[in-house]
Amino acid sequence: MKSKKFSLSDLSQYMVIISVVLVFLVFTVLNPSFVSAYSLQNLMVEISPLILLACGLSFIIFTGGIDLGAGAMVSATCVISGLYVSQFGNGIIPIMLVIGAVLGLLNGCIVAKLKIPSFIVTLCTQNLWAFIALTLCPNGSVAVDLSFRKEIGWMTSKLAGIPIIFFFALVSIAVLFIFQQYTSSGRAIFAVGANIRATRLAGIDTDKVQIMAFVVSGACSALAGALYAYKQKSAVPTIGDALTLSAIASIALGGTSMAGGRGSVLRTAIGVVTITAITSGLNMMGIDPLWKNIIIGVILIVAVYLNSDTKGRDIIVK
Amino acid sequence: MNEVLFETKGVGKTYGSNTVLHDIDMQIHSGEVIGLIGENGAGKSTLMKMISGVDTPSMGEMFYMGKPYVATSIINANHQGIGMVFQEQSLVANLTISQNIYLGREKKYSKAGLVNWAKMNKDAKKALERVDLSVDPGKKVRDIDMATREMVEIAKVLDVVTEVADGHAIILLDEPTTVLSDDEIQQMYVQIQKMKEAGNGIVFISHHLDEILAITDTIYVFKDGEETAVFPTAEANLDVLYEKMVGRSTTGEFYVENKQTVHSDKIALEVEDLSLFGTFNHVSFKLHEGEVLGLAGLDGSGTEEVCACLVGQAAPTAGKIFVDGQEMKFTNSYQARRNGILSVPKDRRDEGMIGILSIEDNITISSWEHLKSNGLLSGKKIRSTAEKWIKEAAIKCTGPKARIAQLSGGNAQKVIFARALESNCKVLILNHPTRGVDVGAKQEIYRLVREMTEAGHAIIVIGDTLDECLGLASNVIIFRDGLISGSFDCPVSGKPSQQEVVHFMM
Repeated sequence: MKSKKFSLSDLSQYMVIISVVLVFLVFTVLNPSFVSAYSLQNLMVEISPLILLACGLSFIIFTGGIDLGAGAMVSATCVISGLYVSQFGNGIIPIMLVIGAVLGLLNGCIVAKLKIPSFIVTLCTQNLWAFIALTLCPNGSVAVDLSFRKEIGWMTSKLAGIPIIFFFALVSIAVLFIFQQYTSSGRAIFAVGANIRATRLAGIDTDKVQIMAFVVSGACSALAGALYAYKQKSAVPTIGDALTLSAIASIALGGTSMAGGRGSVLRTAIGVVTITAITSGLNMMGIDPLWKNIIIGVILIVAVYLNSDTKGRDIIVK
Repeated sequence: MNEVLFETKGVGKTYGSNTVLHDIDMQIHSGEVIGLIGENGAGKSTLMKMISGVDTPSMGEMFYMGKPYVATSIINANHQGIGMVFQEQSLVANLTISQNIYLGREKKYSKAGLVNWAKMNKDAKKALERVDLSVDPGKKVRDIDMATREMVEIAKVLDVVTEVADGHAIILLDEPTTVLSDDEIQQMYVQIQKMKEAGNGIVFISHHLDEILAITDTIYVFKDGEETAVFPTAEANLDVLYEKMVGRSTTGEFYVENKQTVHSDKIALEVEDLSLFGTFNHVSFKLHEGEVLGLAGLDGSGTEEVCACLVGQAAPTAGKIFVDGQEMKFTNSYQARRNGILSVPKDRRDEGMIGILSIEDNITISSWEHLKSNGLLSGKKIRSTAEKWIKEAAIKCTGPKARIAQLSGGNAQKVIFARALESNCKVLILNHPTRGVDVGAKQEIYRLVREMTEAGHAIIVIGDTLDECLGLASNVIIFRDGLISGSFDCPVSGKPSQQEVVHFMM
């Protein structure tokens, strides 16, 4: 029994690598065109916005919190981007960054200053984001004006065979990794997740750190929303409906503890690749898309189970 | 001597290639209290874990009542008649006392899935009476004080093991007195005596050697995972015990008094007429650079709350705090730290250690601002700072990347001290700096305190014992019921006696 537990906790460390390799192997065997240049390019386009969303959300989870409204925020920002890109041109991207940061700030302030659990706060505020999306686009998706398609086409065009949107994701990962590893706020985010009381007494402004995590996550979600608008060339008010689940599943699959304190955006990014590969692989095999979220849900539960195993054991031993 | 209840023969434990316990032979006789002492990390808890079923030995054999003994879990050990009272309390705060006592054993009281609470409470009352507790078993654990909780815990273990092994049970007590006052410790002794007279075998772990000398029959000394000495308590005295544990005897040198500095005239911190409604009033003092100011007082006398105000954990209702001559108001510990005040908290596990983070993060968390290059944190600087302190404070660990949770109590405390020292804060508040720390680590910590003052830090100490407070302090002020009742100069040549000081405490 004990040795089995050990192997399980070891497994959760390498789970993300094992699973990404496994997924690619299985789908390639089932369908060799899974690793064709065309489908890999597709995969890159597919994962890029989700990487932004999930990597940003990771920081909230590092603090031990959660944002249940991450997907709704993507819907809202996708709609705003899609509708107003014709007005602001590509300037919409920095604008979305600011909007996302402000939305995150709102969440963060309520969580940190009023000391309300983040799942409650975001459960409530997500309705606001959904409201924005659905009021601006009451009749479903609105395509970006044809005359404007050219101006936003660059995002999905390719540079040396690689979609530009993917470079966007890579740069974001790099920036977020630097934030996580080489800024005091970034490192303090983990400390807050590990033991907020001790962190506070060590002289860290834990309120600021918590808010920072929400601001970063908000900005990333909004950027993800903009990327979806560019990718779909439309304002889609329902785009984010299933994204919270996919993002959290990616984070968990990456080995990040839902209790906070440990994890990495790099792991999350690989988690996104795995999750997206699974869904697009299933698509290519012609499986009913209705199964998608059920499968992701199962993955999330298994991943969290594997991650939490070591923690549970710690508590029992002490 | 009475019959042997429990015996270990050549028991040892290895984790990978690391041997933490080696070749332990121990005999627990009926009606015997064994004192187990040793520095943190000496292997005491490891042995207890193996006997209580938390862990299994890697080598050697154990016998209970003459038969080979194997315990697969705590509950399994309980069913055989062996129970342990853990160092960190294991009661569930949200449940009632009786629910805690019968946790996992409710079956006895349930019929068709419904629990007969009244019957359970009645039995719980009996279990509590065995340890002379008259508290209502229907009370929630969170509503009773720490000392009562400790006794409830003992009542629980006693009830479990005597159910199956009355008169020949083994009861393991891992530092049961840490949270108790002197009176409560006396009551604990009475209970231990009772268990002993019933014929049970008891193992008692404590860092307080006077307790070991007072209550035990036989003393086992562990050092670095080995049994270095076994002798009847009647033949032991403090000096011998210290010597066997650390290989050096402690005298007046203990508090490194020869390095006590005479403080400068420069005032680092001044508190003027500070009050916190309901806890302390009219507290004024000056703290100089190079000074160690001891705050002495009984629990609840206000010393800890004064310190809480100084680091922004509580807002004083009146009075002023001056740092370097400037008036300050702190709303959180971040502001306090930025203005040069940091504390080493009392509760190491909950307030000090950031458990799942690395040692290097734990050491540098309060000084990340100074460890940057080109505006970004430098991994190299963080690493070298951590390595510097690991060497300087003799922190026993596998490396700066190891988790602090893996360290023994004394080593973890040294990490927290390294954090305070590295923070560049002028004023350091040491709240029970050696709580639950072994003798060797204590000395290291006292040495660090002296180094702090030599470097010009100003220090406030709430001692873990009065002896420690007086030993470290160059000045001491005494609190009684929220007011300053007296003060003493404590120069190396003329420290006040504990009796003199206690007089002002109560």
